[in-house]
Amino acid sequence: MLNPLTRLRSSLGRHETRSPLVAALEAALGREHVLSAPEDLAGYEYDATIERARPDAVAFPASSAEVAAVVRIARAHGVPVVPRGSGTGLAGGALAVLGGVLCVMTRMNRILEIDARNRIAVVEPGVINLQLQEAVAPLGLTYAPDPSSQRVCSLGGNVATNSGGPHTLVYGSTVNHVLGVEVVLADGRVTFLGSRVPDAPGIDLRGLFVGSEGTLGVATKIVVRLVRVPEAVRTMLAVFDGVEPASEAVSAVIRRGVIPVAMEMLDRPIIEAVQHQKDVGYPSDAGAVLLLEVEGLAESVAQDAAAVVEALEASGARGIRVADSEEERAALWEGRKSAIGAIGAVAPNFYLLDGVVPRTRLPEVMRGVVELSERYGFRCGNVFHAGDGNLHPNIMFDELVPGASARVLELGGEIMRLCVDAGGSITGEHGIGLEKRSYMEWVFSPADLDAMGRARIAFGGDELFNPCKILPTGRGCGQAHAAEIQRHLSTPGVYV
Amino acid sequence: MSSLTSTTGLEAVRAAVPLERERPVEDYRIDTVAPAVALRPADRAEVASVLAAANEAGLAVVPQGARTALRLGAPLERYDVALDMRGLDRIVAYEPEDLTMTVEAGLTLEALRAHLAERGQELPVDTPPGDEVTVGGLLATARPGAWRGHLPGQRDLVLGVTVAQPGGTLTTSGGRVVKNVSGYDLHRMHTGALGTLGAIVEASFKLAPRPPAVRSVAIRCTQTAQAEAIAFDLWDRTLATRAISLLAPAAAEAAGLSSMPHVLVEFGGSEAAVSRSLRDLHDVAALGHALAADEVDASAWARLRRLAAGDQAHDDASAGDVVLRLGVPPSEVARVIDAASALDAAGLAAWAHLAAGAVLVRADALEVARVLELRAIAVEAGGFLQIEAAPAALRTAVDAFGAGDLVLSSALREQFDPRGTLNPGRWGTAS
Repeated sequence: MLNPLTRLRSSLGRHETRSPLVAALEAALGREHVLSAPEDLAGYEYDATIERARPDAVAFPASSAEVAAVVRIARAHGVPVVPRGSGTGLAGGALAVLGGVLCVMTRMNRILEIDARNRIAVVEPGVINLQLQEAVAPLGLTYAPDPSSQRVCSLGGNVATNSGGPHTLVYGSTVNHVLGVEVVLADGRVTFLGSRVPDAPGIDLRGLFVGSEGTLGVATKIVVRLVRVPEAVRTMLAVFDGVEPASEAVSAVIRRGVIPVAMEMLDRPIIEAVQHQKDVGYPSDAGAVLLLEVEGLAESVAQDAAAVVEALEASGARGIRVADSEEERAALWEGRKSAIGAIGAVAPNFYLLDGVVPRTRLPEVMRGVVELSERYGFRCGNVFHAGDGNLHPNIMFDELVPGASARVLELGGEIMRLCVDAGGSITGEHGIGLEKRSYMEWVFSPADLDAMGRARIAFGGDELFNPCKILPTGRGCGQAHAAEIQRHLSTPGVYV
Repeated sequence: MSSLTSTTGLEAVRAAVPLERERPVEDYRIDTVAPAVALRPADRAEVASVLAAANEAGLAVVPQGARTALRLGAPLERYDVALDMRGLDRIVAYEPEDLTMTVEAGLTLEALRAHLAERGQELPVDTPPGDEVTVGGLLATARPGAWRGHLPGQRDLVLGVTVAQPGGTLTTSGGRVVKNVSGYDLHRMHTGALGTLGAIVEASFKLAPRPPAVRSVAIRCTQTAQAEAIAFDLWDRTLATRAISLLAPAAAEAAGLSSMPHVLVEFGGSEAAVSRSLRDLHDVAALGHALAADEVDASAWARLRRLAAGDQAHDDASAGDVVLRLGVPPSEVARVIDAASALDAAGLAAWAHLAAGAVLVRADALEVARVLELRAIAVEAGGFLQIEAAPAALRTAVDAFGAGDLVLSSALREQFDPRGTLNPGRWGTAS
């Protein structure tokens, strides 16, 4: 909270130094919807990664026309524009690495339409994921993608990163649930990609846009598919002595021909952190727990749950708890949902990684993650979507220890390499953003990256539209910018 | 093809693969036009070589698999080289425990299904006209079947592709793991692009366990509105549903049922889930005063699938039926079926897959004005109309797609196929 004197000073300062860029933005959106004072910008120089980059101005448009105006104004002034939702991104995708205008979508937060009969909803990008779920719940419907940050993350951000979540295993990622999207393109033109029903004619621009991390345009309206809430759900918690037997159990369940809607794993450091914060009933001496959920018709759920329990027992589960009520189910999930927050309470800093491996390679890759963390001397907790083979190692560290941040990033790179070598991917749901650009060359050839670059060019993407994201240095964000990026990043990055 | 350069170019294309890969051009007619050369490469390198040579020579290439969607889209502007992809029919990797598979583009769904069935798994797609469709065609056309809306479509199941680009470069996007957001999803861009941005040579998919029990029921009704009410009641229950289709009398007859409005339903899952679903279905049918609800075999679905792709005749420009696919909100499906059924056209059949809002209309022939009338209805309902199959004349007179951002689509074409080597003219006004 600023004291009145500071606030007066800053507002005076703003008058004195207001640039033509800021003046143009204020004229388009109204003065109260533009930030440009250094102390105001500070709140927008980060997302959920460790990097920081300060924009020159922050704009809060309220309509697609205003978004178009922001995009045009930034272009006219020769500065980049970077879209941002709730700022919960984990790959630096919403960082204004070359400065410019941060286009924050939080004011566009209306649910425009819920059509229960046709099972769609039309929303603005600033709507929070959980708000949509809560709005449609009374109709017996739900919006399936449920990233762990769903209490705060925006649907526009979900579209940008093609977010996943625990239930992706059966329901798929965000792209499977977006039918159409209104987009403001890099030149300020407003267009609509897709339809209100699936399989629209023509090239699937919608499918290309979802997951493009805000580099092909700004989503201003989203048509999403809703699904019926199943008749029955059974949630189970299985306790194991270690991560490896729990990983083996994941494949054992699938081998029975049952695909649970969620299979989440928490290892010992995470269980301890969760229990340290609040007793959610996870056994503190467990090496790992698996949280599994099956759903469907009452008849099949009972059968599936029995098959799952059998598979878990045969894989060495030393205890299995089955939730019998909605309260018990919520209790089992609470530990999972509070896990990331709980790490914050036991470590000064942590670096959350996102990698994918084929499910059957989980045991060996998890062993590798533990060995690498030990070699680097960092504590590492794992809470992840085991059913999808989607790892989330959390490396705990203290950024005040000299050199720690750099070594953590180095370890992160080695873990990503481990995923790639196992036939996997460098990101399952968080995106490439700024953070993983340099790893793209580990999975894609120069020709592959060139093709991706051409898709970006077709959308009019250039260095003035969310630059330096997704594609590695030299592709839309030249070496020449390295120093410029460094200037905007207030922490030393190893990615540039 | 008279100039010396074209002849030389053609020779270069021919030389890109061993002589024995050449096929009789007569077998590759599209809208009566036979290509100058037809080649059936054996691997991706040969596909790339052919494309590179053709691109260099300014020759038009049409990649094709089972040849079941060549009356989809505007007539080609040029057609020099038929690229038969069926020589690329290997299973590259199959990981049953990961529920993933990587295959070459020329593999048929039939072969793929047989291979997966051994391990009790499937690729859950029922694209028209049937399992002769190749994997490349499955993706390039992205034709939805009756399962769409209940099961994921091919756009959702594709994990990655490798394509040969017009210049002869091979590029890959995505990967082989079931969850992946690294880079731009060019595999989704190629899905439904009708082979205009690259020739798909390999694809990876997410698989599913094959349901132990699958049963179909035909519910006979007296009118469309009644069938609609029953269909919605079924959809609103969370049963083990794989398909709910609404059939006007002529479509029902074509499917082998009686000439009355029908709701055709497929359930799939465990025995317990399917039995329970069948019990509920009989309650719903009774509540809706249906005339009958009888179990039927899968042949009704197979007939509808075949009907949805149209005739595949290419020897007479005016011959062949018309098939339209409309996308409308499910609540509009019955109204569109009625509107289509009211058209005065021989051999007219209309049916719809409720959850995906896909209405199919087929007729022996259809006037331009009738197609535009139906398109207006679809557009007004917030949807679209695509011509799935029609004589070349109709596809010239009417934009076969009628939707999409043409500026962006053209820009993509410009970036990925600047010389117009792949399927030139396929997008018609949209190119």
